[in-house]
Formats: sequence, C-alpha cells, structure tokens
Amino acid sequence: MVDPSVLDPSMVAANAKGMIAIGAGIAVGLCGIGAGMGEQAIGAAAVGAMAEDEKFFGKGLLMTVIPESIAIFGLVVALILLFVF
Amino acid sequence: MGKSQAVKYAYIVARVRGMKGKLIPKEMYPKFLNMDIPEITRFIGESEYKKDVDELGKKYKGTDLFEHALNQNLALTYRKLIEVSQDEANYIITEYLRYWDIWNIKTILRGKFSGASDDDILEDVVSAGQLRYRDLLEIIKIGTIEGVIAALSKTPYYPALSGYKGVLADIENNLDKMYYGSLIKAGESSQDQFFLKFLRTEIDLKNLKILFRMKRAGMEREEIIKLLIPGGIEFNETQLGKLASLPFPEFVRALEEFSYWKVIADISGELTSLINIETRLDKYGLLNITRISYYYPLSILPVLDYIVSKKMEVDNLRIIVRGKETKLPEEIIKAHLVM
Repeated sequence: MVDPSVLDPSMVAANAKGMIAIGAGIAVGLCGIGAGMGEQAIGAAAVGAMAEDEKFFGKGLLMTVIPESIAIFGLVVALILLFVF
Repeated sequence: MGKSQAVKYAYIVARVRGMKGKLIPKEMYPKFLNMDIPEITRFIGESEYKKDVDELGKKYKGTDLFEHALNQNLALTYRKLIEVSQDEANYIITEYLRYWDIWNIKTILRGKFSGASDDDILEDVVSAGQLRYRDLLEIIKIGTIEGVIAALSKTPYYPALSGYKGVLADIENNLDKMYYGSLIKAGESSQDQFFLKFLRTEIDLKNLKILFRMKRAGMEREEIIKLLIPGGIEFNETQLGKLASLPFPEFVRALEEFSYWKVIADISGELTSLINIETRLDKYGLLNITRISYYYPLSILPVLDYIVSKKMEVDNLRIIVRGKETKLPEEIIKAHLVM
C-alpha cells in the first residue's frame, strides 16, 4: 500500500523546491572552491610581483580576480535554478 | 590539501621575474665599453647597486669601491632569495648557494697560501652562502692555513678540508666534489627532476672546462681524472676517462659525439686561447637555463636562471672595469663578456 503523504501534491512541490535549493547550493559551493583553487597560485604570484614592484598592484588585482568569474557562473546557475524552475 | 607545484613556486618565481627585470640589459655592455671608469661607476651608482655604492663610498674609492659594491649586492641579493623562499625552493636555493661558501673558503685559503693581505682577501669574499660575513671576517684574520681549517671545523665543509697536507689543489678538488655530491643528493631527495637536469648539465660544462684547461697544459690522465666531477648528464665516468687519456687534438675531435660540440664547433679550429671556449660554455650554460626556465615556468628553474644571470652580470661588470683599469683593448674585454 502506498503512503498517501508521498502523493500529496504540496509535499511533492516542497521536495522539488528542496532539491532545487540543494542544487543551487552545490553550484555556488563548487564554483567557489574552483575559483579559490585558481586564485591561490595567481594571488601568490601577484603578491610576489607586487613585492618587487608596487606598480603591479592594479594588474595583480585584476589577474587575481579573473578566476572569480567561475564563482559568478555558479551564482548565475544558482539564481536560474531558484527563480526559473 | 597539499600545495600543488604551481602554488609552491608561484610566489618566488614572480619575485625573481621581477628581480630579473631589474638586471642590466645586455645592450648596455657595449655602451659600458665606450665609457670611462668614473662614468661606469656613476651609472652603477644610480642603478640597483646605488645602496651598496652609497654605503661603501665612505670606506673605499675607485675600482675597490666598485668591487666591494658588486660583491655586497650579489651577497644581499642571494640572501634575499633564501629569505623570501619557502619549503622545497628554499632548500634547493640554500644548497645551491653553498657554492659561495666553497668560493669563500677557497679564496681565503688561496690568499693565506700566497700571503695576500686581509683586505685583498676580503675584496673577493661574497657572503652569499651559509657562512656569515662576520664569521668570514674573523676567519680572514687568522694567519695560517691550518688555523683557517681549524676555524672551519664545525662547518659541514671540514671533512673536505681535514686532509690538508700542503697541497691546496687537493682540498679544492675535495670541496668541489663535496659540493656537487651534496647538491645531487639534495636534488634526488627533493625529487626535483628539473633541478637535477640543470645541475648535471652544469657539471658537464665544468668538466669540459677542466678537460680543456688540463689537456692544454698537457697533464697526465690520472691527474686530470682526480679533478673531474662525477654526475654529469652526458659525460659518464668511462667517457671522462676516455677523454682524459686522449691527446689535445684527438680530444677536441672526440667531442663531436656530444651535444656540446655545436657550442664550440665553429671555433674548434682556433684554439690558441681557451678564453673563447670558456666564454662560449658559460654563455651556453646561461642560455640553456634561460630557455628551460621558460618551458617550465612554475618550477625552481626561473630562480636558478636568475641566480646564474645575476652572477654573469656582476662578472661582466667586473671584467669591464678591471679590463679598463689595466687598459686592455676593447676586443679582449669583449671576448670575456658573457652576454
């Protein structure tokens, strides 16, 4: 015999919403980790270059935040998941 | 999570790339040849050497000031590399820069052997290794070779020095072999293949220079073999033994089998002087490390490239100023420059 609560439309909708939220969380989380891994080497190199020449600050900052675009992709995917589905 | 190779070297490589950008460009050397010593000193005094020239300006004058400023700058630059590097890079740099400990010990022993004054010895000391300048100053004050060796009894170099029986060449060979032996061990323990490859090429070039010099001087096979350093990439011990036993013209021809031949092929017919050969080999060593450092940018190679390039810069400046001081013709000075 099937549990009637499983087929309850409001419960099914709530479960789906929960799954979307988890998906959005994973998208942002994994992209954040990826961006961080990309940034660690670039950040270290930028600090090294800046230590030798202060003029490198602007370029160094720009280079360091380039992998941040991956985190933005994750955020966009999360927003699509949350507001489109 | 362990650090990746890229992260380990990103900081130090970015720093040495920045430092390399501040080296004197090679286009400047021909211009130096047209300048007088005061002009060169002024140029140097306004460059990266400014601090050293200003600091030592009260104590020394003329070419002595130049010599001391170059040595101090070289020592401080190398020391900075040790200070700003970490972990594996720091270990390899520290071991590699022990070259200057060996250099200083040899300089002091040679100075004492030939009866040079303390100031003359100090002029050639570069405290870029593990022996501190203050300790070296104390060691220089010791009057005898035996006393100098005893003062070094607590250093790792003592085993190479303890067998001194009146012949300096023997302990100098021991020091060289000990240095390269421990460097190979350091490379093997850190499993850094790039470093090992660079090191083995350096050993080959050093052996090649020794072979050329000794063959030219007509030394016997056994004498030459004692001087050669094992561990090269192309010359193994059998090949070195074979090369050492050949007479000079056959020795030069036998080199055709090796990759280094292309470096010296066009001047192999005019071997009246070894200056060209040695300059070519030094230049090849510099170009080789610069080239491979671009292939593997996030490794120890760019740091080694900087170490070699900085030494060449200081050597070139010293050659120009000393050459001009002794009024050597421009062509001869130029032949000695590695650029």
